[in-house]
Amino acid sequence: MDFLIDLDRIGRTFGTHVALRDVTLRLRPGRIGLLGPNGAGKSTLLKLLMGLISPTSGSGRVLEHVISPNGAGEGDYELRRLIGFMPEADALVPGLRGVDYVSLAGELYGLPRKQAIRRAHEVLTYLGLEEARYRRLEEYSTGMKQRLKLAQTLVHDPPVLLLDEPTSGLDPASRDAMLRLLLELGRDFGKSLIVSTHLLADVEAVCEQVVILMNGEVRGQGSVDELCKRRHDRFILKIQGEIEAYKLALEAKAVRVLSYNAKGDFRVSVAEGWKISEFFGLAPNTGSVVRAVLPDDETLEEMFLRTANNA
Amino acid sequence: MSRPAPSPHLLRYRTLNTARRGPWFGSVAIARSSLQLLAGRKMFWTLYIFSLLIFLLYFFGQYLQVFLEQRVSESLVRTGGVFGRTIRPDFFVNMLRDTLRMNGTADTYGDFMWTEGYIVMVLLAFAGSAIVGNDFRFNSLPFYLSKPIGRRHYLVGKALAIAVLVNAMTTIPGLCLYVEYGFIDTWEYYKNSTRLLFGILAYGAALTITLTLLLLVTATWLRRTVPLIMVWTAAFVMSRLVQRWLVDGLGLSPRWRLLDIWNDMYLFGQWCFGTNHLLLRPGNQIQPEYREATAVIVVVCLVCVWYLSRRVRAVEVVQ
Amino acid sequence: MKDDGQPVLLFEQVSKWYGPVIGLNQVTLELRRGITGLVGANGSGKSTLLRLATGQLKPTLGRVTVRGVDAWEWRAKALVGYCPDNDAFYEDMPGREFVAAMARLCGFEKAEALRRTEAVLERVGMADRADRKIGGYSKGMRQRIKLAQALLNDPQMLVLDEPLSGIDPIGRQEMLELFRGLAAEGKCLLVSSHELEELEKLTDHVAILTRGRIAAVGTVTQIRDMLDDQPLSVRIDVHDPRRLATLLVNRLEVVGVELEPKVLANGTHESLIVRARNPRRFFEDFGKLVVSEELDVARLEPLDDTAHAVLGYLLGGSGKT
Repeated sequence: MDFLIDLDRIGRTFGTHVALRDVTLRLRPGRIGLLGPNGAGKSTLLKLLMGLISPTSGSGRVLEHVISPNGAGEGDYELRRLIGFMPEADALVPGLRGVDYVSLAGELYGLPRKQAIRRAHEVLTYLGLEEARYRRLEEYSTGMKQRLKLAQTLVHDPPVLLLDEPTSGLDPASRDAMLRLLLELGRDFGKSLIVSTHLLADVEAVCEQVVILMNGEVRGQGSVDELCKRRHDRFILKIQGEIEAYKLALEAKAVRVLSYNAKGDFRVSVAEGWKISEFFGLAPNTGSVVRAVLPDDETLEEMFLRTANNA
Repeated sequence: MSRPAPSPHLLRYRTLNTARRGPWFGSVAIARSSLQLLAGRKMFWTLYIFSLLIFLLYFFGQYLQVFLEQRVSESLVRTGGVFGRTIRPDFFVNMLRDTLRMNGTADTYGDFMWTEGYIVMVLLAFAGSAIVGNDFRFNSLPFYLSKPIGRRHYLVGKALAIAVLVNAMTTIPGLCLYVEYGFIDTWEYYKNSTRLLFGILAYGAALTITLTLLLLVTATWLRRTVPLIMVWTAAFVMSRLVQRWLVDGLGLSPRWRLLDIWNDMYLFGQWCFGTNHLLLRPGNQIQPEYREATAVIVVVCLVCVWYLSRRVRAVEVVQ
Repeated sequence: MKDDGQPVLLFEQVSKWYGPVIGLNQVTLELRRGITGLVGANGSGKSTLLRLATGQLKPTLGRVTVRGVDAWEWRAKALVGYCPDNDAFYEDMPGREFVAAMARLCGFEKAEALRRTEAVLERVGMADRADRKIGGYSKGMRQRIKLAQALLNDPQMLVLDEPLSGIDPIGRQEMLELFRGLAAEGKCLLVSSHELEELEKLTDHVAILTRGRIAAVGTVTQIRDMLDDQPLSVRIDVHDPRRLATLLVNRLEVVGVELEPKVLANGTHESLIVRARNPRRFFEDFGKLVVSEELDVARLEPLDDTAHAVLGYLLGGSGKT
């Protein structure tokens, strides 16, 4: 498989509303983050990728599967068989037990009943729900619900997982666990992930490629490293101790302090030929300690906001 | 990010290679898990046992009728002077037969299925909110619709589950009564009354289709148990009261009886049993024409289908 | 955080239980002006604490006061704005009408209620969108409406339960600005959030709640340094990591040195992961070492002094993510 997603000038309108405009995307299999503000067309794109709707113009392939304006639209069952979708909504069926729920998902994906049940147990065990699987869904905690929703995307072993806000509502520990699972599935078991989320930290933790969608147009696609600018002259410092004194010392050395706060977080811009060791040299005389020196390359968030503001 | 500790081989993710089946198998799975949902509720079994009580009444009623006709009618019974005279049991037996009609005729099956009405309604209201309303209420639809099935497969799955319920309370017990009477009577009964068999099946089918559609509609509209039971009761008890008041009280045209959909289905059933319209019971009520009742049923079904297709199409899988 | 005499919110040995279930267990907490983050796992008692602070619950034991007044008295409630986690709205009501109705519920005269409604809607940036029905709002707009109604009575203390959940990054940026503005006016903000990265951008001052008890209050760095039994992990990228490793391993504070291979665009390098006790002394020594040995350091990064890692340690995990 060359490209996971290969869309050529795809457009989709709903009446007079243009949801997607000339979307051209070429993404290799891998872990992909889908970013964009509300109303950017993310959900329309997800629906297109799942074969729930057809585009109104353009053409493309998803997993070697052609989508075009005269395609099957919602009837495109073949495509959805290759995809596991984790919805943002709770989407549980209260009253069912965990294992019933996952095996029902398996049957809906077309597995024979006995296979579906066997596989449901297997997937739930893999996701660490072996004890919860006989409980009814209404007794599940938020973290367990999210993992259960992940289980039902894996039950038919699809090559691609579509995840809509997979960590929403999770507390930090469960969120870590979820992100670790996603990373493991993508990196070690070769699943392609498409993660749509508002939490840029999730994308940073899991994804290698990002797509930025705004007003129905693609504003950026590629690997995280490519999209974020390198800034060789800028550094982030964390100083403990006499912060004001340290700031004066920096300025005396012609270092521009872009921002700093009482917690000791500095962002500075240095002149050509500046050596990092000089940051350490300044510290003892000012009664402070350097706790961190990091290159201040553009973060995913800054990149995203820059892209948004260019719009 | 440190690497997650490698899990033991047994618990690692495994790939899967199995043949895949078409979307209609999905409908069956939906129906099965819906019934499974109901079977987990005590309320369901309580109501179902009530419906079985009506069946048992008719079941033993038919035996009793035959038993009385054969054994008791030959002898006279003295009441020891309480009534001051002897009474003729065959008079009572005949009276019993004419009022209850538990004798393997069209009236037996028609009455039985009509009588099941109340309990069927309550049970369906409960079932509707549990297996359809909850899907809307708890946002379960994205779960179903993100799978390789269409909206129609989802609806058919739910409809199948409801159809099983309706049949389990009407058609199947009706058929049991039919088989039973053949055993009590003679084998000739089966030969002579194929029309009755057809009638049971047709009446059952009408009940199944109409009620399934109506239930899907009300459940997707209301989504909760209590309002569902209220609307459902209003539709079936109130409409009956209203039609009686309009026709018997105010003396309007018998066409007003068409308001009562349960009565319409009863009329359709009797039509299929081949009952003469003039001999319809109770004799003191004039009923609308068979074909009018049938037309009402068809219209109701079409409206339901139209509403459902609109309603389910509006569901968004991805918000 | 400046001390201006009386604390805004004060929990004195507060316990709260519901039947056999305990929500909070002898919590003492003092909040002054500025922003405090409230951090904890689900079920750690966060919502109980927030409800006690807003006077929706009465403590079973102990006392909760707002500016010296018991929190469930109306005089205290007038000082507190609450932005709840769940969104239960009248979906058919336009946002403006909803806020105005809340203003009337607060007991303002009609004209005053309308004036305040406009003011708070302006404040949260919803004035131009408030005539649409709430049912059609995005999550971010719902959060803004909730914040608007919390601001109606111009409270001295704002309690915000998960105010950032579900907002897109741009809206998030605006909300963070708004919170900073409110704090700058001298209000006291208590913000609970699962999104620790976001919370850290907003404030360094956190209260960590585990199993119904306050595990720690203070700035993240302070709390990290108190965790003596967990040596700090520091990643150092340097030209010759093995030489630095030999230099460091002699130091008393250093309890472990590890070389981690790292693939970069221009070949494979090694990073040094140093684990050290007494972080302050370690960094001081390290700084001197850099100068005296003329080390070519490219990066110095403590790996586990974020709120995230601290919470991990306090909850008994590894802290690393």
